[in-house]
Amino acid sequence: MAAVQSAAPPAAGAPIPSKRKRPPPKGKKNKKKKLARSDQDDSVRRRRNKPSAKFLKLLRKRARDYNSDDDEGEDDRREERPPSRRRDDDDDGDEGLSHSEQEEDDDDDDGEEDEEGASSSGVTRFEEGCRAFRVAFLKIMGKKLPDDPLGPIMSAHKKLVAAKLAEEVEERKPKWEIRKEKQVEAEKGHVLPKDHLDSKEKELIKVATKGVVRLFNAVSKAQKPRKDLNPSSTKDAKIIAKERKSTFLAELEMPSHQVNKNKASLNSSKHTGKDEDEPAWAPLRDTYMLGTKLKDWDKMKDSAAENEETKIPLSDSSDEE
Amino acid sequence: MRHPRSGPGKRRGRGPRIPATTLRKQQAALADVDQITGQKVPKSFVFSRGKLPSTLRHLQQDLRKVMLPYTALNLKEKKRNNLKDFLNVAGPLGVTHFLILSKAKGLPHLRFAKLPQGPTFTLQIEEYALAADIANSQKHPRCPPGIFKNSPLVVLSGFAGLGEPFKSLVKYFHHMLPAVDTGTVKLATCQRILLLKYDKEKEVIEFRHYSIKLQPVGVSRRIRKLMQNNQVPDLRDLKDVSDYVTKAGYGSESEADDEAATVSLPSDVDKLNQASRKSAVRLQEIGPRITMRLVKVESGLCSGDVLYPWPVEKEVVRNEGTETGEELGQEAENVVGSESDGEMEE
Repeated sequence: MAAVQSAAPPAAGAPIPSKRKRPPPKGKKNKKKKLARSDQDDSVRRRRNKPSAKFLKLLRKRARDYNSDDDEGEDDRREERPPSRRRDDDDDGDEGLSHSEQEEDDDDDDGEEDEEGASSSGVTRFEEGCRAFRVAFLKIMGKKLPDDPLGPIMSAHKKLVAAKLAEEVEERKPKWEIRKEKQVEAEKGHVLPKDHLDSKEKELIKVATKGVVRLFNAVSKAQKPRKDLNPSSTKDAKIIAKERKSTFLAELEMPSHQVNKNKASLNSSKHTGKDEDEPAWAPLRDTYMLGTKLKDWDKMKDSAAENEETKIPLSDSSDEE
Repeated sequence: MRHPRSGPGKRRGRGPRIPATTLRKQQAALADVDQITGQKVPKSFVFSRGKLPSTLRHLQQDLRKVMLPYTALNLKEKKRNNLKDFLNVAGPLGVTHFLILSKAKGLPHLRFAKLPQGPTFTLQIEEYALAADIANSQKHPRCPPGIFKNSPLVVLSGFAGLGEPFKSLVKYFHHMLPAVDTGTVKLATCQRILLLKYDKEKEVIEFRHYSIKLQPVGVSRRIRKLMQNNQVPDLRDLKDVSDYVTKAGYGSESEADDEAATVSLPSDVDKLNQASRKSAVRLQEIGPRITMRLVKVESGLCSGDVLYPWPVEKEVVRNEGTETGEELGQEAENVVGSESDGEMEE
């Protein structure tokens, strides 16, 4: 490294102004690269460059942009470059630390343009930049690469690159396959029934039938007494009315509280009309649209709770279990 | 979804102005209470959260048909409708129950929610078959449109002796559809039945929907058909009219003759099933068919405390499998029981 350091300042002095104007046209560069590739077949650099054809294209474009303002050819420079370049590549193999000044410059330049050119702004000052690039480049070259299935990835965001690659793979999947996957996902849980009733379904039907039969029997039990009587005769009509009321109260035990209360209030405050017998039509009742809560809002809390507890099982008694 | 907005700016210039409170009261009086028994009629909305695939949209429509007539069959929802919108409409319309279908990755979920303050039961739909699938699988699917004019009966089975999350779930199912008053109900209106059976081994709830058909016992198939169709029968192949009656019909009468399925009717249901005769109850599935598993109970409307599975010991449940989950659920019941009971009875 000491040699490099001592060599750097003179090298930086002379060639840099010219170098900045150096316009290596596209074709030449490509050729150069091809040459380099043929030289070192299985070198790290080649492997690195291989997957990113797009990246190369981008590099080329950037190089073009960078040099677009001064196109006047400096042919002599270009003439002298290829051989030196080739030598660089050879040297890279054995980690050339001892280059001559010219070589070093070239090396740095190449490194800059090939690898860093895209990321750096292209206006880097070479006075200090040369050495830094060199060091960085050598460091990179000296790295032991892990044996990754994706190949060596230089980027710091390795995961991102991997995700992008995976995405590409996903994109390559045929459309019908994607659609099929979607379909499968959407149909999850959808099971077509068998053509015949299996034992499980039969069992379920049996259970349901039992439930219906019980309900129907309960209904017929509740509605039959009225059948025996003749509603046209006044005597029977009275009995029917009584039956209806009593069965109704038996079924919904909750209202019996209210009826008792009504009776009590009848005794005390002499209500007439409605309270004597509860009208059959719901809107005429006192309790119409008033839950127990609303009606007994001023009563003790626990008694209200009791009412509710009795109400719930009884109102469902018609349903099975 | 269209609903009356109560915002001050939106109403201007739209005919006579009725105070919002009066309107609400009128609607409530019309809608919420049964005219005979005076009980509050439960009403429901069936809708979805998020985008559903087409099969699930069909399932949603089937569920709406199950919940008929006290549900919005053509409820339209938009992408931007949130739960609050539905809640806002539900109040004035007297809607008391929400059935919410949703589908994220994996299996679809069905949430049963009680308005306005919960609880919410989240059930995972493990398997389902649409009504159309059921009809396709049957030789003679039977689904006359008239059966949707009345609400179905609810039959719950296998829930006896279960712990807390199921107790409140049973209560929910009972109140989801109007209760039957045995004293006044007409049997002709009982045409559908909703079966919810708890399978203790698999810990799943089977949801089945059947149509009820009554058939007179001891009447041959031909006579029955003659009565039903009101058409002159085809007598070409017969030598005598009496042959039509005496000739043995094909088809199995075994199910109809099953003693367990016969009932004596209190009144005439139709021409065939008269009060004096015995009738056989026959069920035919109309779908949808759902197998679902209770996965979560929340105290609020799709929010609030998680009552089941008991949140603290959730990880233990995952590690040790379903059996411990059941035990933990029952433990949770002891602690949470009083609280959830209080909410159910509102």
